[in-house]
Amino acid sequence: MKATIKHLLVCAAIITTTSTTAAIAAKPTPDMNKVFHYQFPVAETGFDPAQANDLYSNTVMEALFEPMLTYDYLARPSKLAPRTADLPVMSEAGKVYTFKIRPGTLFTDDPAFKGKPRELVAEDYIFSIKRLADPKLHSQWRYLVEGKILGIAEAIKTATKSGKFDYNQKIAGLEALDKYTLKVTLEAPDFNYPYILAMPTFGALAREVVEHYGIDIPAHPVGTGPYRLDKWARSSLISLIANPVYRGHVWSYTAQEKGDEELVKAMQGKLLPTVGRIEIAIMEEDQARLLAFQSGELDMFQLEGPLAPKVMDGAVLKPEFAATGAKLSRIIDPEIQYPYLSTRDPTIGGMSKERIALRRAIFLAYDDTEEIRIVHNSQAEALDYPIPPGVVGYLPGYRSVNRTNLPLAKALLDKFGYKVGADGFRTTPQGKPLVIKYTSRPDSLGRQQEEMWQKTFNAIKIRMESDKKKFPEILKAEKACQLQMRTNRWIADFPDGDNFMQLFYSKNIGQSNNSCTDVPEYDALYEKAMVMPAGPERDKLYVDMARVLEYYGAHRISMARARNMVMQSHVMGYKKHPILLADWLYIDMEKPKGEKQ
Amino acid sequence: MTAPQYQASPGLWTLAWRRLIADRLAMISLVVVMAFFALMVASGTGLIAAKWADEVAVGYAPPSLFGTPATAVKNATSVSTTEPAENLYPGTVKDPLADEIAELKVQLGAQPGGGAKSSVGAGSTPLNDEIDYKDLDLGDLKVVDPIGAELAEILATTTAAVEKPRVDSLPFGADKWGHDVILKVIKGSETSIFVGLAAALVATIIGTILGAVSGYYGGWIDDFLNWFYSIFTAIPYLLLILAIAAVLNQKGVTTIVMILGLTGWTGVYRLVRAEYIKHSTREYVQAADAIGASNMRRMFIHIFPNVSHISLVQLSVHTVGFIKSEVILSFLGFGVPVDKVSWGSMLGEAQNELILGYWWQLAAATIAMAILVTAFSMFTDALRDALDPKIK
Repeated sequence: MKATIKHLLVCAAIITTTSTTAAIAAKPTPDMNKVFHYQFPVAETGFDPAQANDLYSNTVMEALFEPMLTYDYLARPSKLAPRTADLPVMSEAGKVYTFKIRPGTLFTDDPAFKGKPRELVAEDYIFSIKRLADPKLHSQWRYLVEGKILGIAEAIKTATKSGKFDYNQKIAGLEALDKYTLKVTLEAPDFNYPYILAMPTFGALAREVVEHYGIDIPAHPVGTGPYRLDKWARSSLISLIANPVYRGHVWSYTAQEKGDEELVKAMQGKLLPTVGRIEIAIMEEDQARLLAFQSGELDMFQLEGPLAPKVMDGAVLKPEFAATGAKLSRIIDPEIQYPYLSTRDPTIGGMSKERIALRRAIFLAYDDTEEIRIVHNSQAEALDYPIPPGVVGYLPGYRSVNRTNLPLAKALLDKFGYKVGADGFRTTPQGKPLVIKYTSRPDSLGRQQEEMWQKTFNAIKIRMESDKKKFPEILKAEKACQLQMRTNRWIADFPDGDNFMQLFYSKNIGQSNNSCTDVPEYDALYEKAMVMPAGPERDKLYVDMARVLEYYGAHRISMARARNMVMQSHVMGYKKHPILLADWLYIDMEKPKGEKQ
Repeated sequence: MTAPQYQASPGLWTLAWRRLIADRLAMISLVVVMAFFALMVASGTGLIAAKWADEVAVGYAPPSLFGTPATAVKNATSVSTTEPAENLYPGTVKDPLADEIAELKVQLGAQPGGGAKSSVGAGSTPLNDEIDYKDLDLGDLKVVDPIGAELAEILATTTAAVEKPRVDSLPFGADKWGHDVILKVIKGSETSIFVGLAAALVATIIGTILGAVSGYYGGWIDDFLNWFYSIFTAIPYLLLILAIAAVLNQKGVTTIVMILGLTGWTGVYRLVRAEYIKHSTREYVQAADAIGASNMRRMFIHIFPNVSHISLVQLSVHTVGFIKSEVILSFLGFGVPVDKVSWGSMLGEAQNELILGYWWQLAAATIAMAILVTAFSMFTDALRDALDPKIK
């Protein structure tokens, strides 16, 4: 009874507010003849923000659901921007964030709303965040709220005991001060939590929709985003259509980098969306994507490394390709690839000088520019600093002390007593056999990286053993610190340096510290830095931390891959964003040639 | 001189050999197969292709024997290696190895070729990175390089290695690392042919022994082995191979030999069993029984020579089959480890190369394999004909 009365009240309120906002802002007028054809290389799984944890489902969900915040389309490094709410007010030194949700945001029509318009309110976000904590949903994203938002951990404990998560309970850290004000209280200060809340995982769902569809919710995404799901043929085609009740979004950004002026000139002031339809096809083969693009079936596609030399000349499109009018948007992914040597390993770990020398010699022998050139077809950029471009805290021009230097590597091993034995391979200073086990995935990239390391180890006469494991097995072994060496990769969850620096904090072993890096000096510095907001002071500490990792030979930051989006000439205003997944929401299209205006 | 009154009638093997040498195609095939075997032995003993792993050419150097295709010209795609003149962020931590490194670098810096900046492919390796270590003299250092002193010492004594210049093209082209493709094919033939022969030997031995036991004894032993055979053959071949590969979970040539040998015996088994059923009731076997020959003696001393041609033909048939299977296994990633090369691993690499227009590695491996497999098959055909007394 209570719920229905409340519901009626909410509805009444919506009717009044929508009539006022409609009078003020112009409605977007998407052109149904403008269809943007796009592709995914891997199939989606479903569109429930709590349950889907794959990149491609999340990409679609970014168009369907709305978290409170998003990113500025052109700002680099990435900067948060309002979406359904204004930027939060921070209080209690990063422990409390207060969001003011903008009134007048409507959910798209659905039978669950019984024909009435439904406005987005603070309670919807509370409900959606609670869903991430519901043990029954097995959300992969639970760690983003458990132990972070005050009271969630206790609620999960109670729910695990009773077997049912009570959505009516009050969570101390999630408070709706009024209809449009949400106060999020954290267990501990965290300057990066607003980034977390901008993930598509934190998009708002309406409770009545979730209850109406039950277990079938991944097929019924009802959100407030600019598009709604029109047709969905699983693992084959996803068709999105402009949401008729969407409030519209005015393209208004400032140029920051070279080439931005053009985008601004073409797009400034447009009311989005202007594209009526988005069709996403699943195309698993690189070659198929390229051919589909060349025949005009695709308006844009992501060019993968193996095929890059066919289309690109280093970092630009080949002239014959550019002549067709195709355009390229290229960024360096906010990621780091780093081969590591476990500092906890019984044979290569430890902080004695001879072990440090061994680890550093291995990194000194490795030529990452060769890996970029040969394994990645030049579609990556060398990187020495643990924070990649596009992320707050990135320092261009930083150089590692362990850059490729083969003679130094050999001399270092000689000096510390790693003598070459009768079989042509080095032994430990104690005269015991020395074998280093390199773990990689049994795929083409894994094999090529293994070949690179085999070459490297041959050059310094150290015996290498190959270890092939599937990805889940690798993760399991890493959580238990069982691997000696691997080339790991980390892509930013959110664009702050802390997301990368926490990777090497020894208290994160078993969670995100996959390399089992355990350097006390680093930990001490990290603990100082973790309570500091981003800025030059923190950067100073970060530089020291990066140096510590180099000095102790924990790993070698080697590269970040490039991401190349190739699009047809009629796609306007596109620029690849390092964090936003559905960055094609910000485009417009010229009418294809031959079609009558 | 009178001609002898009688001539000892030639035996099965003599007749077969005569028939075989009369077959010119068989002889040519034999020569080709022998040439491959010689190549395998020469490569295995290190007489040729021992230096296949040397990176002699630039990546994807085109084959000069067939002209230079346009696609190959752009093989050395440039990497932006804009190195700043100075390290902008020295940090305040101290390198524990600082002293060692600094000392070494001073010595290395004095050597010719020391000052080179680029480490990519050409010329000497940079050793003179004084910039990185200069920061160690800063006043407010907090973090120390644990092995700085040693590094300094090393840098004072090591000489710079000068990389050999790489050629732009090779007669048969180069792979992505710059290995000579023809040497790679020879080295690959060593693995592939060895695997083929060894696996065929394993399969033939297992098949012959099981077939002999099954056909000779009959009864429940035969039933049991037949049942086992039926189950084995009911599983799709490739699936069975992959399953065994997953169970062994170890990479290496021995593993591949075991995988192929343990899955390939069924054909031999069926044929040998049939022969033993036929022969075990023949008079000469009964005679052997009458003079008290044991079962083992009857099976392997009396009957086996009369059915051995089956095993021999099967051995060569399977060798051809297993060379192909090794290629498939390596192509699927279950094959040879990274420090070895086989035709299959070459084809696996060629997957990505072909879309980019680098066809030479694929061509070299397939041509070598096609020649060997064709010659071997034709020889096996001729051998079967020669050994079959009914064909005259």
